[in-house]
Amino acid sequence: MSSLSGVDAPNNGLPPGKVAAFNTADLLRRALAGTATRAILAVALALLITAILILIAGKNPLLAYAALLKGAFGSLDRIIFGLNKSTPYILAGLGVALCFRANVINIGAEGQIAVGGIGATAVALSGLALPGFLLMPMALVAGAACGALWAGVAAFISLKRGVHEVLCTLLLNFVGVLLVSEVLHGRLGEQGAGFPQSPLLPRTTWLPKLVAGTDLHIGIVLAVGAALACHILFWRTTFGFRLRIMGASRNAARYVGISNMRQTMRVMLLAGGLAGLAGGVEVLGVHYRLIEGFSAGFGFNAVGVALLASLNPMAVLPAGLFIGFLEAGALAMQREVGVPSSLVFVIQGLTMVFVLCALGLRGERSKV
Amino acid sequence: MLEMRGIRKAYGAVQANSGIDLDVAAGQIVGLLGENGSGKSTLMKLLFGVVSADAGSILFKGQPLTGHGPAQAMAAGLGMIHQHFTLVEAMSVTENVMLGAPDAGPWLSPRAMAQRIVEESAKYGLDIDPDAIVDDLPHGRRQRVEIVKAILRGADLLILDEPTSNLSPSEVDGLLAIMARLRDQGRAIVFISHKLDEVLAICSDIVVLRDGAVAGTCKAEGATREGLAKMMVGRDMPPPVARAPSAAGRNVLHVGQMALVEDGIERLAPITFSLRAGEILAIAGIDGNGQTELAECLAGLRLPTAGGIDLDGHDVTLAGVGERTMRGLAYIPVDRAMTSLVTGMSVSDNLALRDFDRPPLSRRGWLERGSFAVRASEMSQRFAIKMAGPHVAARTLSGGNQQKIVLAREIGRHPLVLIAHQPVWGLDPGATRFVIDQILALRAAGGAVVYISSSLEEVMTLGDRIAVMQGGRLSMPVDREMADLTQIGLLMAGDVGAIHSDAA
Repeated sequence: MSSLSGVDAPNNGLPPGKVAAFNTADLLRRALAGTATRAILAVALALLITAILILIAGKNPLLAYAALLKGAFGSLDRIIFGLNKSTPYILAGLGVALCFRANVINIGAEGQIAVGGIGATAVALSGLALPGFLLMPMALVAGAACGALWAGVAAFISLKRGVHEVLCTLLLNFVGVLLVSEVLHGRLGEQGAGFPQSPLLPRTTWLPKLVAGTDLHIGIVLAVGAALACHILFWRTTFGFRLRIMGASRNAARYVGISNMRQTMRVMLLAGGLAGLAGGVEVLGVHYRLIEGFSAGFGFNAVGVALLASLNPMAVLPAGLFIGFLEAGALAMQREVGVPSSLVFVIQGLTMVFVLCALGLRGERSKV
Repeated sequence: MLEMRGIRKAYGAVQANSGIDLDVAAGQIVGLLGENGSGKSTLMKLLFGVVSADAGSILFKGQPLTGHGPAQAMAAGLGMIHQHFTLVEAMSVTENVMLGAPDAGPWLSPRAMAQRIVEESAKYGLDIDPDAIVDDLPHGRRQRVEIVKAILRGADLLILDEPTSNLSPSEVDGLLAIMARLRDQGRAIVFISHKLDEVLAICSDIVVLRDGAVAGTCKAEGATREGLAKMMVGRDMPPPVARAPSAAGRNVLHVGQMALVEDGIERLAPITFSLRAGEILAIAGIDGNGQTELAECLAGLRLPTAGGIDLDGHDVTLAGVGERTMRGLAYIPVDRAMTSLVTGMSVSDNLALRDFDRPPLSRRGWLERGSFAVRASEMSQRFAIKMAGPHVAARTLSGGNQQKIVLAREIGRHPLVLIAHQPVWGLDPGATRFVIDQILALRAAGGAVVYISSSLEEVMTLGDRIAVMQGGRLSMPVDREMADLTQIGLLMAGDVGAIHSDAA
């Protein structure tokens, strides 16, 4: 949460008057304006088309959507489920958005999340004689560090050997995901369990609950904080300014002497760290152990979230929540109305496609 | 074969072609001469249907050509060989020729096509292997592939746009021989070139364009290089703007034996010059003769492979852009839309591109948005930048106002040395005047300027000393009073003798 204190820092010493045009609220408003209305229209269109598909499947779409809504927001428990589901999407989506903004096409969140989960688990199970309030943050930091390392490897290969970053990040995903299976069949695996999973983590390393007696862990607070921090980083710091120049024009970046290598490495480390944090949060907050396939699809959803948000760090928050709640509701819809499970993914996919079409990604991205 | 009458074309306020007539007969090679921006390319684009004319008529083989596109032009029997080839490098010669060939049909018959390529190749001495992959061919060979492509599509009139600019001398001789054979077979050729010797060697008639109009036509027989050079550049130059002679300032920039070799190609032959405070060194030359390489080496975007650069007493040969900027170097590159401006970013962001990472624009990594705003309002007043506000994207401004952003950023910080590469390119007269005035004001304030342009007029107006770049070489700078237009024209056209006599 230390990042939140940074909100005020850039405002210090601002002269009054016309400068007001640059305050954070205004930037926020500008970042979100236009995006919202078009996104809502697109969602409506996606729901309409899916309704037809549900009809064809022989179910009542109205009932199905009612179940979806109820599944997403029907009770406190459902809302909490949705919030927890959204958390890793937001965290990893932020990193992807920043990378894409700098024209570094990092699609390696999937692997970075997985490796982050390993890092967090390893520290949590290390048996270090530390009080819980220290071990838990250390485990999260380890998760972030491992994610950053994984992204750093991809960036290093890409920069040093001239391999396209899409290839490096994509291929390391497979390695990262398989690495989870590998450690679960080895050092971190639970003896005698019928499923590749780690032993239950010590209770002191579990993420604290935000609301006592519920499943809502503090991950969503981390996600909101990270979104704010990334927003500020992107719009208010020299680092963000460099990213914006680099993303808008490599020639201009070269012209003003920005080191492509250094900037790419930095933004990849940052994105990897966020993805690794997402992995750690999932392990310490939801499962309390490392499970094979615990983050399947998270990284690719994160890419979708970043694109839905038009690569605006602050818009990643609603985009991540949207996908998280949609998934939560869709699962309930499948349970209650018996809509085939494949249709759940159809809804997700269609929504994504329509929203992206409506946003006109290219037009949005030129706004730097 | 071809009659063009009264061709007019305007781009915005710029009249690129103002009533041009051109005649080409079968079996004739016509040379089209002119400086950059004299209207040659526009005229040929109009003929080939890439752009449409505002007025005028084209008669080709007795048929009027109007409202045509490149496809119709090709079908009518026109072939254009661009300076930059339109070949697919990963494909073989045969495949390239088949691409889009009108008679290729839905079923490809590569063997028949290869046979035809071999036949045509023998007929014109092209010496092309139809199975070779284009990527493996040297530049001169690729050009022949383009030629055979055009011939097989039935081109009776070939337009060659500066075909010799990237060829070695022996390749040039080969090309001229091929052109002669094409002519003897009854085809017509329009040969666009800057190089007087080549034009005189191969053409029967020469048309010289200047400022979008025909400056003169003549038979190649009896024409002289001096005469043509004068016709090309020889408008009555306005007398140089009266101005205070530059006070002999101290040396602020010294370039010693700086050379650049990239991929085994010598881009810059060893270059040596010095520049004093309050002085403008104007460098003339046809585009693509090493000017960009020179500018980028000075600005720190490329590192020279030999020699050194000394800026205000500091050796900056290996220094990065940041250090050179700190030491007082400013650079206006030729490419505004892609390089010197980030058109998607706001005007105030663009004004900050150079020093956003230092106070007052930022402190400890935090951008000071207030300082951005102060800078934007100051600069927009001082440089009269017309815009809806400092936060609108630079892309929404006119070209002139965009360049004012660049000027404000580069000149506004009172640099010691300014490298300006074609800073008025594409600007209307008013904006051009503004840019030139600002550069002269910088000179008056003691700034040193390297002004690179392909426009002789600019070079003659601005330079205290004038040099010419040709083939990566810089001629010895001469004082403006001593500069002789004909001599400069010859240097630009690659007359090596002129460089030597000049340097002597």
